[in-house]
Amino acid sequence: MPHVEVLPNSASAAAPGWTYVVDTGYDPSKVAINPKDRKRAAARPGARSDNELSARQQTAIARRIAELERDNDPKQSIAIAGKHATPKTQNARRIIQYQRQIKHWLDDEEAQLQQAPAPRTAQSSRRVGTMASIPPTPSEATPGPITPRPSATQADPSTQVDPLLSIDNLMPPPLDKAELDALLAAPPLSYAASHVGPPAPGGPPQRHFCDNCGYWGKIKCLRCGARVCGLECKEAHEATRCLKWA
Amino acid sequence: MPPKGSRKLSTIAPKHTLVLDNGAYTLKAGLVPAASTDLSYDSCTVIPNCIARSTRDKCTYVASELIHCKDFGELAFRRPVEKGFIVNWEAEKAIWEHEFVESTAGEGLMCDPKETNLLLTEKPNCPKELQKNCDEIVFEQFEFAAYHRSVGATFCAYTSADGSSLSSLPQECLLIIDTSYSDATILPIYSGQLIQSAVRRLNIGGKLLTNYLKELSSLRHYNMMEETYLLNEIKEAVSFVTSSKEQFSRDLERTWKGRLGDKRDLDTSIVVDYVLPDYEGSIHGYARPHDPVKSRMRRGLQPQQGPREDLLPVGNERFAVPELLFNPSDIGIQEAGLPEAIVQALGTLPEALKLAFLSNIVVVGGNSLIPGFMERLESELRMLVPDNYLLGIARADDPIKHTWLGAARFASQPDLLKHVLVSKAEYDENGSTWLAKKFAATAGR
Repeated sequence: MPHVEVLPNSASAAAPGWTYVVDTGYDPSKVAINPKDRKRAAARPGARSDNELSARQQTAIARRIAELERDNDPKQSIAIAGKHATPKTQNARRIIQYQRQIKHWLDDEEAQLQQAPAPRTAQSSRRVGTMASIPPTPSEATPGPITPRPSATQADPSTQVDPLLSIDNLMPPPLDKAELDALLAAPPLSYAASHVGPPAPGGPPQRHFCDNCGYWGKIKCLRCGARVCGLECKEAHEATRCLKWA
Repeated sequence: MPPKGSRKLSTIAPKHTLVLDNGAYTLKAGLVPAASTDLSYDSCTVIPNCIARSTRDKCTYVASELIHCKDFGELAFRRPVEKGFIVNWEAEKAIWEHEFVESTAGEGLMCDPKETNLLLTEKPNCPKELQKNCDEIVFEQFEFAAYHRSVGATFCAYTSADGSSLSSLPQECLLIIDTSYSDATILPIYSGQLIQSAVRRLNIGGKLLTNYLKELSSLRHYNMMEETYLLNEIKEAVSFVTSSKEQFSRDLERTWKGRLGDKRDLDTSIVVDYVLPDYEGSIHGYARPHDPVKSRMRRGLQPQQGPREDLLPVGNERFAVPELLFNPSDIGIQEAGLPEAIVQALGTLPEALKLAFLSNIVVVGGNSLIPGFMERLESELRMLVPDNYLLGIARADDPIKHTWLGAARFASQPDLLKHVLVSKAEYDENGSTWLAKKFAATAGR
């Protein structure tokens, strides 16, 4: 009996409706939809480190902070009782009738700054111009503003003292008048630009607290990544605050 | 419009000035006669800057009427000032009219705007559109005779930290830390002039602390999300700042309930029971040391004895809430704490100025009244600045009214005031864009 074997070729391969593909590892577009390989992802080198937050957690934190910073509840509208003086001019009427919140004004400000960069650069170049037109003073000629002027007093033999007793290195360089004027003339920053920056990178790590009772958050909820302090709080957390279904 | 020649005649400034520190939580106001010498914190009236409405008694309270309120339960607030800037002029106009113009005005505050100067303070980094709105309302709606608007902290240079000195010369270098209702700002002031490029703002204010305490109490005990007034009262009554990070850990340990099967006794020197007001017999609550028996009764584990009272146990919330001022990252706000923010702000300045500012720091704003705040700020700041730098830090005697007093001192000196005031006639002639430019240019005189 002859042996018949079907040799695979490209034309005759039955298509089962699925295919094997090369596993390229972490795909952010899929993780958010169905984070099923959480344990594998955690084991994989180069995956998110312990303290990094998922997108979902970040949104939750941002929403919470916005809630904490809110001034007025948009749901409650309190009408102003009694009769009051009517607006006297068109301008006043317009301003009084604004129903905008602070975030609208701040967004406006940002949009305006982005739309019109020209006056800003002109302004800053003018500031540079005034700085440049000043004849360099000795303190500016030294490499940095922090470096004290070492040579001025030491060159003069009458005032030369023991370098250990010298207080020169303790004193900062004297204030430069032109520099001060430039500082005082600088225009105000925009609201967004005057934020405090993030803490210095070498500082202590972020502290984590229990989501429920506020004690140290030693245990991470496997479902949503929030921190809890122990079993009791974990149960309470799962019953109320767990983000798994949020 | 008056003919050109008559302008000089019409700009004779009125004799008294309304000094108004328009805060987000309270207005600080007072009428200051020219050349008065007996100004003190007592000349200032503090008025809530809000319109409150209670769903229970269906009453609306405008600003100072709030003291007549007997039931703060579920009281809703409408605040015209958001993030420190006057945003809603409909409400702010109603409040100003109620407090200064109409017959409801408080004693010593009623004035006719047409015969009064206005000295108004604002927060730094205000969007220009909002400043313009403010100028237009002041002149077109209220028609004040003359007006000046400036960042409030710059006036602090005209008064010393204990509010005693009286001089027409501003302090040379002064660093104001304003930890207020909306945020905490760091303002270096050189000879009464703000160094704008070094102003920094930390988005943690009293409002955020109150809301945070509200959230925590609602999560851990009862739903208090509508009880803003009450939680603010509790925050003011019981919160404190721990002396250091290490002390924070120790206190956290002492207020922990323990594990399942390893229950610990709460340290009653920290944990307190806040007796909630019922708004029938009592309007205000009070705190007393934690009593575990009462707490078991509350949860129905023990039969009820004695008169019924509602208790809110306050444990680590007492110090974890104000801790946000020093560690905003505790709730995920990616900003440095207040001491580091001060160093950041000064980092842009020349070394000599930095040295001078660090030796003269004055803290204003209500959050500085939290016990332990000043000690913690000083010790953490000491760790961050080089040890050969002198660190002089003090809280203003009355941190809430201090800015007002500075502004009032300024307003009481006619020769200082006449340089900065802009009269209505000038405004009518030149318009609001000109006025905004003028205030920006005279920001520090």
